[in-house]
Amino acid sequence: MAYNKPIPPQGQHTKPFWEGAKAGKLLLPRCQDCNRVHWYPRLICPFCHSTNLEWIEASGKGRLHTFAVQHRAFGGWAEEVPYVTAYIDLDEGDRMMTVLRGVDPTKPEGIKIGTRVVVEFEQANDETFIPFWRVAEQSGA
Amino acid sequence: MGAANLSNAAAIVGAAESDVIGYPEDLTGHKVTSLQHHIQAIKNVSVQTGIPISDIQGIFSAGWSGELAEHLGLKPRYLDTTSVGGCSFQIHVHHALAAIHAGIIDIALVSHGEAGWSYRGGGGGGGGRGQISPGAEMTAAYGTFGAPSQYAHAMVRHFHQFGTSQEDFAHISVVTRDWAQLNPRAVMYGKQQSPFGGPITVQDVLDARVIAWPLTLYHCCLVSDHGGAVLVARPEDARSLRTNPVWVTGAGESMGHQNILEMEDFTATSASRSSAIAYEMAGLGPQDMEMAMIYDSFTITAGITAEMLGLAPRGKGYTLWKDGHAAPGGRLPINTNGGGLSFNHSGMYGMQLLVEAYRQLSRTAEDGVNGIEGKQTQATTCVVNGTGGTLSTTGTLVLTSDDR
Repeated sequence: MAYNKPIPPQGQHTKPFWEGAKAGKLLLPRCQDCNRVHWYPRLICPFCHSTNLEWIEASGKGRLHTFAVQHRAFGGWAEEVPYVTAYIDLDEGDRMMTVLRGVDPTKPEGIKIGTRVVVEFEQANDETFIPFWRVAEQSGA
Repeated sequence: MGAANLSNAAAIVGAAESDVIGYPEDLTGHKVTSLQHHIQAIKNVSVQTGIPISDIQGIFSAGWSGELAEHLGLKPRYLDTTSVGGCSFQIHVHHALAAIHAGIIDIALVSHGEAGWSYRGGGGGGGGRGQISPGAEMTAAYGTFGAPSQYAHAMVRHFHQFGTSQEDFAHISVVTRDWAQLNPRAVMYGKQQSPFGGPITVQDVLDARVIAWPLTLYHCCLVSDHGGAVLVARPEDARSLRTNPVWVTGAGESMGHQNILEMEDFTATSASRSSAIAYEMAGLGPQDMEMAMIYDSFTITAGITAEMLGLAPRGKGYTLWKDGHAAPGGRLPINTNGGGLSFNHSGMYGMQLLVEAYRQLSRTAEDGVNGIEGKQTQATTCVVNGTGGTLSTTGTLVLTSDDR
């Protein structure tokens, strides 16, 4: 079935990210002066204000920082309710938003903050592969 | 009276442009976005002056100030995003002069970026068609719809860090319904006005329809219509009018983020900083506040903000409501109009906070229009805190009554 949810328009400052996603890789921006990773992508390091930035391939691993269960939605997402939206603390640093997979939205009490998660990509159109995160099978991921 | 003499109260100390102006695509083969023009110019003026970007305390721009602050990782204490056309930047300098003269900030940034040709066709002021903020780009895919879908994440994190529960926050809804029953103009004044009107119980809150777990409908503010206005006057005039003055004894502002993706601690807002500035200006502290008007877009907003304002310990904001302190007759009345949860919430509720704070401190809360017996408090001090965006931006006022 064709992807029926909002597809982010790609701005011109994030091309490497979307190219990486297409290849199944999670690319993150890192400052070559202070070595810190930031998310979302910037034109300038938000920590030290250097413009000496690069893209690195991330591990695609992280931990669940917080979440919510969406019961009210529109468009393609309305067909999916209830579903879990979440913020992921990346192993490389900083935080990413997602819809979390591999959890039971009808039992939110069973979803644990700090759970290990891994990234996966879903094809939305020819140019866009959207990262989603899933609870890791093995607790040692 | 004339304006304070601002002559020489501040100076422009540097001025720079973005790297490639004119028709960048012809010169470089790449379009340059409005955001890029901003960031390049800011970087260049920082290098020119030797003033680190991190020293910037106030951000002035035509509609971009929140975006710029977040992109730069700054937590400004003065935000001005006045957008009134091409003269906006002269006006920004004027506002910056006043802010510096007043001692609120030492260093102000006035910034402009507008890819007027490259992205033409998108209308004025907003940056042009075909450009998207990278923060919006990286969150657009993930199925959130409006404020409750995002605020719910903050409540879950509060549960995790402090061991709180849906039930703890439900008390906030219940108490606002109690206040609403003293305010005939409140949407939730009673069951005749709304099937959801007061009184309600904690169980009612828990049993209500789930919007975004853990937020049920009763954890969420109203959506209604409202208009309001306040007048502010110099002291000589304030004392000569037939109305009672309420004094602006302290004021502060700050921001944490624009996009909640950038919220460092989902259980904390910039109200800790904006209130610290306001309290310092007032020479008063949270222990001196006798009532509070706290933006309650959701129960979690009110609970967290009470903590940020120092009215309750971290993780314990909800206890003010649960233990009855915030309720009618309590030691620290909060949201005496019924709040955004039960009185009125038009989308930007900050004006309603101001109107009610004025009524309480001017002793007109039971003026026959908006109050019935029991609504007028004896408070002589009130901390007023507005929260904007998605737990993003805060403004705090410390107001005092004339009979204090």
